[in-house]
Amino acid sequence: MAQSERMIDIVGVHKTFVSDHGTVTALEPVSITIKPGEFISIVGPSGCGKSTLLRLISGLDQASGGTITLDTAGRKRPVGFVFQEPVLLPWKTIIENVRFPLDTAGVGRAQGDKIALDLIKMVGLAGFEKALPRQLSGGMRQRAAIARSLSDDPPILLMDEPFSAVDLMTRDTLNDELLRIWQSTGKTILLVTHSVDEAAYLADRVMVMTARPGKLKCIHDVDLARPRGEKTKLDPAYHALVAQLRRDLRISGGEAH
Amino acid sequence: MAKRLAAWVDYALALIVLLAAWWFATGPMEMPTYLLPSPLRTWNALVGIAVTGELWVHLGFTLQNIVLGLVFGCVAGIALAYLMTRFPKLAVWLDGPLVILQTAPKIALAPLFVVWFGFGILSKIILIFSLVFFPVFIGAVSGFRSLDPKMKDLAKLLSLGTFQRFRQIELPSAMPEIFVGLKIGAVQALVGAVLAEWMSGKFGLGYLMTFASATYKTPLLFAAVLMTVVLGLLLHVMLTMLENRLLSWKGAKK
Repeated sequence: MAQSERMIDIVGVHKTFVSDHGTVTALEPVSITIKPGEFISIVGPSGCGKSTLLRLISGLDQASGGTITLDTAGRKRPVGFVFQEPVLLPWKTIIENVRFPLDTAGVGRAQGDKIALDLIKMVGLAGFEKALPRQLSGGMRQRAAIARSLSDDPPILLMDEPFSAVDLMTRDTLNDELLRIWQSTGKTILLVTHSVDEAAYLADRVMVMTARPGKLKCIHDVDLARPRGEKTKLDPAYHALVAQLRRDLRISGGEAH
Repeated sequence: MAKRLAAWVDYALALIVLLAAWWFATGPMEMPTYLLPSPLRTWNALVGIAVTGELWVHLGFTLQNIVLGLVFGCVAGIALAYLMTRFPKLAVWLDGPLVILQTAPKIALAPLFVVWFGFGILSKIILIFSLVFFPVFIGAVSGFRSLDPKMKDLAKLLSLGTFQRFRQIELPSAMPEIFVGLKIGAVQALVGAVLAEWMSGKFGLGYLMTFASATYKTPLLFAAVLMTVVLGLLLHVMLTMLENRLLSWKGAKK
């Protein structure tokens, strides 16, 4: 990753919605530069604009002002996106779903199958290639969604509360797997979450956002050793960071977490 | 499997009872043939036209009209529903005229179709088309409108073209609702086909009925009626098979 130290460059990006009751500020101006291969967590209460920020970066929504520059060399699909729900196509099997971005980009079947099978193995769904989404559990479906978001190899992965719908134990496992995937693929990842523990455990940097109006309050560097695991969760520095994040969120008057 | 077998046994028993009652009415009770021909006479009439080949001509004609009407009605219904959800302005303009057309009893328009489109196949297919179009159209509109917004996000993220979106996401997700309309439409199509043949032309099961009743060939009339029943069943089975194929992802359905 020698080419540039700016994978995502966000300068003064803000968003206002116009509704019947007047304009609502969803996001006050935000600026941040994200390096290639960095893992960023965004944490904050509901309505702090964290999902909005992700949607702006992905191009799903247009910013009201400011600029977002992605160093992705004109790729047609620069970002992979993992939603809160899996959003799999229910009429397609798991392998067809994972292959879907490739199929629609005109990649040949043989090559598509090879990539999809590798990814399915990586997310731990080997043996479920021919299953339909409804036959899998919520956690397994979310794994399939992650595999799909990686299938056309985007340099950036955006994740909008990807594990909020799965139970806590599955969530811990999925977090560890996400770290493993991140380390083996070198993606730049932005992960939105409600959970300060999750944010601190995963990220290189944590963006703390506050609500009404949504804005970026501060950014914490996370200096915990990698690779992270059970030992990280016993590290006093980890607990200190989690406590600090909680304080940040509480002082701002955000909803309790 | 055993459950299905039991269901077939029940069907067969019900049929046997019905046949027995029919035979009793015509045999021991001595109902006259012009009112109620015996099962054997009806069967003979059926075999008679089957052997001469007449039956297949009429059956084929009716089936062909139904299939053509169904295909055109479905394509047009889905296409208009799709355009109206793509262009809401179109929906505003077309809403009024469509309600009027939809509530107009198509059967009552049948003579008009004959006046406009002649005694041939065209007026028949148009009548069937008009009966199939609306249920499919209404199903498709609700199918397209209930598309999960998250799916739209997915399509946008993958920058899918209009055709890819339609083929890969919008059409399959609207398919369950379209099928509800199609099943209603198929029943209507049979009614429309027979009715259209009553009114004009020299072919079809409907024509066979009018011919038989006009010439007092009641066994032949019975045979024709039986064949329309069989045709209805055939359509139902074909649609159910298609549904099981296309909608198997919704979960097992019988």
